[in-house]
Amino acid sequence: MQTITGSRALGIINALAHFALCVASCLLASHVLISGPVAFRNFFYIDALSVFFILTISIVNFAAAAYSIGYIAKDTAEGTIKERKAKAYYGLFNLFAFTMYFVTVVNNLGMLWVAIEMTTLVSAFLVGFYNNKKSIEAAWKYIIICSVGITLALLGTILFYYTASRDGGVTSLNWTDMIAAAGRLDPKVLKIAFLFILVGYGTKAGIAPMHTWLPDAHSQALAPISALLSGVLLKTAIYAIIRFTSIINICIGTSYSDNLFIFFGLLSLGVSAAFVIVQKDIKRLLAYSSVEHIGVITFGLGAGGALGLFGALFHVFNHAVTKSVMFFAAGNVVKKYKTSDMHVIRGVISAMPFTGIMLMIGAFALTGSPPFSVFFSEIMILISGFGQGLYLQSALFLAFIAVIFGAVVYHIGTIAFGKKPDDLPAAGEPLSGKIAFIFLLVFICVLGFKLPAVFSGLINSAIEIIRGA
Amino acid sequence: MLINIFLFGILIMAFMMVAAKRVSALIDGFRIQSFFLFMLMFVLAYSADSTELYIVTALLFVTKVILIPVMLRRVVKRIKVNEDLGLSVNPTVSIFAAIVLAYLAYAFTGMIAGIPAFFVSLSITLIGLFIMIFRMKAIAQIVGLLVMESGVFLTAASISGGMPFIVEIAIFFDVFLAVIILGIFVYKINSLFTHIDIDKLTELKG
Repeated sequence: MQTITGSRALGIINALAHFALCVASCLLASHVLISGPVAFRNFFYIDALSVFFILTISIVNFAAAAYSIGYIAKDTAEGTIKERKAKAYYGLFNLFAFTMYFVTVVNNLGMLWVAIEMTTLVSAFLVGFYNNKKSIEAAWKYIIICSVGITLALLGTILFYYTASRDGGVTSLNWTDMIAAAGRLDPKVLKIAFLFILVGYGTKAGIAPMHTWLPDAHSQALAPISALLSGVLLKTAIYAIIRFTSIINICIGTSYSDNLFIFFGLLSLGVSAAFVIVQKDIKRLLAYSSVEHIGVITFGLGAGGALGLFGALFHVFNHAVTKSVMFFAAGNVVKKYKTSDMHVIRGVISAMPFTGIMLMIGAFALTGSPPFSVFFSEIMILISGFGQGLYLQSALFLAFIAVIFGAVVYHIGTIAFGKKPDDLPAAGEPLSGKIAFIFLLVFICVLGFKLPAVFSGLINSAIEIIRGA
Repeated sequence: MLINIFLFGILIMAFMMVAAKRVSALIDGFRIQSFFLFMLMFVLAYSADSTELYIVTALLFVTKVILIPVMLRRVVKRIKVNEDLGLSVNPTVSIFAAIVLAYLAYAFTGMIAGIPAFFVSLSITLIGLFIMIFRMKAIAQIVGLLVMESGVFLTAASISGGMPFIVEIAIFFDVFLAVIILGIFVYKINSLFTHIDIDKLTELKG
């Protein structure tokens, strides 16, 4: 019996702590669902919308923490990183997790901005973690492009505050005060402010054409961090956009934001379709797929109606869990083959059966094949789109999804099957490395068949918040 | 009256920075611009006689007039960077572009609120963005970001009488942290690539 030491022990403690957070956020969810929003000194405000994102974050965080154990232990064993750096990793991991939680619980829209900027600053170190040319270049682009975006978002926030204080008589930046005064705000200022918000936070969310940092950062970060960036970090920016959307929806109706969402959603889908087809690098492939899914979510927000919004929020969760499985699997593959070039990687299923199968299941789940959960959220959005009379837009949406389905399944199929290189030993994987996959797979499969009442109740309450009820 | 003089100074310094050819000139430009911003805030704080505004003004002075320029200078000195800014657009064209940006800001702010301070703040936000895009040194991108941020800060001060106090403080802290972290990355870029020319960072494609 070998003793568990160093980075492995740290990893296990970290994973247990995040499991506890997972349980805590479930309890919080049921509390909010039963007895309404939780507020604390006007600074923290947690309603169904926040809880929904908290739940998503905690689930992906736990999975990433569990996956990190083996990943970091292997890096330290191979000497890629030193023991001291492994400790730094867990420190940054938790700081990053903390900033993301913070985004979802603050009431003050200015503090929301600060929290989102903090997520960038912390995660930049995780993107540049390996300290080589590629990762530092990616980290620099990430921090610079996102900081510019977020500066524009701050301008948008200030314009919101301008009309809120001039026309609404609001003296704080609290979301709860703004929403109460929403009806009295100046529509002209709001429209311009919302553009800044959408472009600003949209940069962070990876909405095309502001997505250019995303493929670099996601492909260079460590695999568990890629999962966090893609799965939940982008969603925190979506969360911020949703908060502002609910304010302007009350004041000027939904058609203004809907049109913008549909336009940017389709643009993101189109851009990612083009890049997914020609992609050679497996992690970049997954990164562009994130642009696609952010496009799906934005389109869903724009397609509107209760069903479209339900689909969009449901998709936030589905994409988070599914994309994490894919990044974990890709992380295993890259570690084993020492390359992320899909022209070189062959025979993943025979070289590492568990990862190979996860990769295949993940690819189908991610691209929206039944019976996995992504299929259902995409179908909801599509039905809503057609139902609202957006025939051309919905047809385009369907066409892009179909193209991406073909491209991703083709790419992943090529690397999963085929003949593995002779010098690569086929080896089983330890159970500890499988926990994260199985944990997430449960959500992907179960939610495809049955939505627990708590879960749909949570989304429905969140929808009421978005629609300004 | 006094405020308008300081606003004019802020705008002029933005133009000077656009025309700068050397890294040190850019940093000096930023420092003087921050000083004008500080004076302006001081006048506002004095006329409103508000302790909170005085604190914000003092923080502005400490971070943007003293600490950040000193830090940027030290980075430049330590990495012995080539002083040339690497202009992808020459100064004459850059000035012309900055004038166009300022006009756009003027036309745009006229639609929302015709306040001179708002016009200046939006102008320098756009000019900061211009510096970030068209100057190829990593340091210049940091300065561009700071100019943008100053612009947004001035917007807040001019149209909505500043943000709530706690938010203002948090944003200062955040910006300061961002500059430190960007500085760290400049060191890292320099030690890996032996230069800090952003246009030559081309490892990642597609």
